[in-house]
Amino acid sequence: MTQPSSLPPLTPQLCFSTTALRDFLRLSRSAVDDTINQNLNALETPAKAGFDPTSTARLGPRPLSHQIDAASCNAFKDKVLFPSWQVRSDLISYCSLVATSPDPDDPERALREAENEKNWERVIDERLDPYSARYFPREARTEQLAHVLRQEMGANLFRTVIRHYEDKQYKRGLKAAEQILKKNPKHGDTMSMKALILNAQGKTDEAFALAKDALTIDMKSYICWHVYGILYRANKNFDEAIKAYKFALKLEPDSHQIQRDLAVLQIQMRDYPGYIQSRLLMLKSRPQLRQNWTALAIAYHLDGNLQQAENILSTYEKSVTTTPLRTDLENSEALLYKNSIISETGDFERALEHLETDCKNCLDRLAVMELRARYLAQLGRKEDAAKAYRALLDRNAEHPDYYKGLIDALGIAADDEAALKAVYDEYAAKNPRCDAAKRLPLDFLSGDRFRTAAKAYLTLMFDKGVPSTFANLKHLYSDGFKKDTLPVLAEEYLKEHSGATDTGGQTNGDSSKGEGAALYFLAQHYNYYMSRDLSKATDFVEKAIKLDPKNVDFHMTKARIFKHQGEIAKAAEAMDHARSLDTKDRYINSKAAKYQLRNNENEKALATLGLFTRAETVGGPLADLTDMQCIWFLTEDGEAWQRRGNLGLALKRYHTVFNIFDIWQEDQFDFHSFSLRKGQIRAYVDLIRWEDRLREHPFYFRAALDAVNLYLSMHEKPQNGTNGVEGGHANGDDAAEKKKAAKKAKKEAQKAEREAAEKAAKQDPNKKSADGDEVKKKDDDPNGLKLAATADPLGDAMKFLWHLLQFSPKNIEGQIAGFEVFIRRSKYLLALRCLKAALAIDKDHPKIPEQASRLRKALDGAMSSLAPKVKEVIDSELASVPGA
Amino acid sequence: MDIRLLRASDIPLIQHANLENLPENYFLKYYLYHALSWPQLSYVAVDVSRPQKSPYDYPKIVGYVLAKMEEEPADGVQHGHITSLSVMRTHRRLGIAEKLMRQSQLAMVETFGAHYVSLHVRVSNKAAIHLYRDTLGFKTERTESKYYADGEDAFSMKLDLDFIREQLREEEGGGEEKEGKESEKNAGKEGEEGENGEHADEGEPVGEVGRDPAKGGKGEQKIKVKVGRGLGVGELVEKVESKHS
Repeated sequence: MTQPSSLPPLTPQLCFSTTALRDFLRLSRSAVDDTINQNLNALETPAKAGFDPTSTARLGPRPLSHQIDAASCNAFKDKVLFPSWQVRSDLISYCSLVATSPDPDDPERALREAENEKNWERVIDERLDPYSARYFPREARTEQLAHVLRQEMGANLFRTVIRHYEDKQYKRGLKAAEQILKKNPKHGDTMSMKALILNAQGKTDEAFALAKDALTIDMKSYICWHVYGILYRANKNFDEAIKAYKFALKLEPDSHQIQRDLAVLQIQMRDYPGYIQSRLLMLKSRPQLRQNWTALAIAYHLDGNLQQAENILSTYEKSVTTTPLRTDLENSEALLYKNSIISETGDFERALEHLETDCKNCLDRLAVMELRARYLAQLGRKEDAAKAYRALLDRNAEHPDYYKGLIDALGIAADDEAALKAVYDEYAAKNPRCDAAKRLPLDFLSGDRFRTAAKAYLTLMFDKGVPSTFANLKHLYSDGFKKDTLPVLAEEYLKEHSGATDTGGQTNGDSSKGEGAALYFLAQHYNYYMSRDLSKATDFVEKAIKLDPKNVDFHMTKARIFKHQGEIAKAAEAMDHARSLDTKDRYINSKAAKYQLRNNENEKALATLGLFTRAETVGGPLADLTDMQCIWFLTEDGEAWQRRGNLGLALKRYHTVFNIFDIWQEDQFDFHSFSLRKGQIRAYVDLIRWEDRLREHPFYFRAALDAVNLYLSMHEKPQNGTNGVEGGHANGDDAAEKKKAAKKAKKEAQKAEREAAEKAAKQDPNKKSADGDEVKKKDDDPNGLKLAATADPLGDAMKFLWHLLQFSPKNIEGQIAGFEVFIRRSKYLLALRCLKAALAIDKDHPKIPEQASRLRKALDGAMSSLAPKVKEVIDSELASVPGA
Repeated sequence: MDIRLLRASDIPLIQHANLENLPENYFLKYYLYHALSWPQLSYVAVDVSRPQKSPYDYPKIVGYVLAKMEEEPADGVQHGHITSLSVMRTHRRLGIAEKLMRQSQLAMVETFGAHYVSLHVRVSNKAAIHLYRDTLGFKTERTESKYYADGEDAFSMKLDLDFIREQLREEEGGGEEKEGKESEKNAGKEGEEGENGEHADEGEPVGEVGRDPAKGGKGEQKIKVKVGRGLGVGELVEKVESKHS
């Protein structure tokens, strides 16, 4: 049986040596209280029935049939548990006495007074050092002791608070925290924990205020600083969070948890030097974990220090004495990661050698094969490279890069069509179902060779009735000859195969399938912008439909042709008809909704999409599509609202897209530690690099440009009122119509709002607010009225514009929009920069001379207010822009 | 069209394809979870013939297979699972789905030692069932009632991947004929081999203690210990595998 804690001699010295005091209390608790289960289990007489080997193979909890003997249980209680508690209670009450008594022998009194004196003379510059104002006066040892005791008395309860918080039992956690604060209202740690709970309940402001109070009360508590950091992190202020974590770490340098939290934030913020520092410390404290070595290598790698990254990985490898198992995935991936670092240095010789020795047995076979082929090619070992690419093609004959690699390795000249074709033919023969080997030669063949190959390919595709034939070939249209040849071949095919349906008798399904596919190809050909003839396109698609009236693809193309004729309403109708032919297919459903949106039928489109969204999502299809990050819908819906003059909803959708990108950026957060555990390092590095350029995505660009342009138009034509609906100033029929539409939109928006409110009122209030539930934040501006009521549209546009210019600088539309915003904000240098960037992208763009002359004009008016240096720079730079 | 491994930067357009095609949708983070846990298993079909519209164009995804390994297999057997598979309507009948699946299945065996792959399919989805059952050789295990959010039942299907192991072994030239002859319970040191006894290095001593060289030869009978990834030590499952002999 565990021995009860014995009471140490009670002296003031023991009390004042707070570490010893704390250690005693901690040990006593962990030996008795915290291990009460083990203590009780130990009382159970072991192995009465002998060892049953099957017990180790059994899943699930063991039956609770074991009863502890009552006598030994009581003995434990009386001889161990209670005496231990008594000892602790005695010690605490003695020390409390010491802490509240005068302390004439305080050895530090003089020192303390000297320090206080010095503090008066300190210079505080919070701009240079945000923490410079902080001064922690040395506490008297009685104060320190009192602090320790207060903590001790609340310690058990405090742990309860933490446990409740971690279990998301927020109400219970708050209750426990209140209990502590009632006795000890200035307990900083408890206040901090309370703040954390409040924040989890969505009461952010209250939480911050309380955490700040906690800090002023107990600035030396690492818990307070840690919580402060967590609050900042939760509210996405990562810079401040990092500062707070660093402070917490200064106070408690041994806390793994704070160190880990800090490291994750540093990598999230791409503070590579900081991350390296943190990772070094973490490695030092736990060098036995491979993860810690890998993580440090990643830190160096991302910081661009390839040499050091490789060294770290090698050091770990050398320190391992056992041979890792072949199935050790972490090892396999770490080796391939190291190989990728070596290849980044450009030393392919060494990379190949490493690959062929160390990575020989790596589990990611494809990666090993691909890397090997690449290295061999780089090193000019053509024969081996050819073999390696052949092995890859045997694996996957649909990957064009492999053919390219093989052809390069074989040294075939780009104009040797026959030799090139032979390579592809070999694989077409080997894989009868392979598409790439048959299609890719069409890219380089010319003249009769092209004709022959294209005919064979089209025949095969039409016979099979493959609908994507046109989509797979339209890139050939940049070559005039090919553009002219393909439709001729399709017509020839038609001539050979048509009539099969009319003759009845020997008609089989296949020939009509071929005819339909050829007609479909021609309809798409004449609908394509490089070969457009819409009346011919209509002819062909009608013929196809006549052949197979229920074919969704044919009707879909018919709708597209309407769209190109400018018949938006007819297009939407036709697409919806296509949808009705296959109501189980979401693809055609999505297309129908998109065409409805193009026709400004937002409500109808949402209803269409609602046929496939999750029915149980609160808030209906819109909420589901938003939750599921359905960007195409949000963008199209916003654009449609904008055309209808409902600026609020348009802005709302664009902002939602913006927020989704924020979420996507944050999504990487958890993977900083997750990936280290999983060991898939190459995939992680790939993620980090992609996240760095996340917002260059066309999804972002389109919505952001829409938003910037909308804000520009709002600046030109200020809103009359706060309803977010355009109206007023414009004149003519168009304006009247817009006004009408706006009124209607407003009414609809109000109606939707009312319905939502009713729905919310109907909901069972008990269902939602159960303790432990995380509260879903309520949208206080569902219709974007607040967004549309902005007094500073140009300022709001900047939020979108910065990312456009930063991540897609080579997109001329962004630069043109940037100029428009900057010139209105009188930021002439920035406007000039956009103008010059646009010029560099496309010097013939019609907007450039116009913008240049406007900038010149604006400058002439403003020159007097500009600094002479600025004036000089702008003048000389603008001189080289045409039109200025 | 190009069939290749999934990259992180493909994910927004994979999510887009999923939202356009299927009623079962996921957050971007769920795709990331697949891409960062089992990056070898998910493949995409890319339309490479689209003309570039801007320097920031992303390859258009016309089909994808999103696959994973079961993290805590209930039966203790390592196996893969198809989370989502779809091909754009405009690109059907090119065999894309089949090609995507075959790439993924191969990697499941090579990289993760999967013994089989499982999936769910709507009982009404004839085209998909045809692909799985007739083209790829899946067998229907059972019907799961009301599996989908809209109340439709699912077939739970399964494909044994031993045929791929067989192929790989042939390619390696018989270097690995020591395929688990694990029938006898032999709770020796070798018990700690890891989840796939048959892939363990042969004959090489493991660590200082090493093994008895006399016992290290071929045909040694050993226990196969299956440890579900992420399971705690307490849940370590010992299983006698009689299926693979």
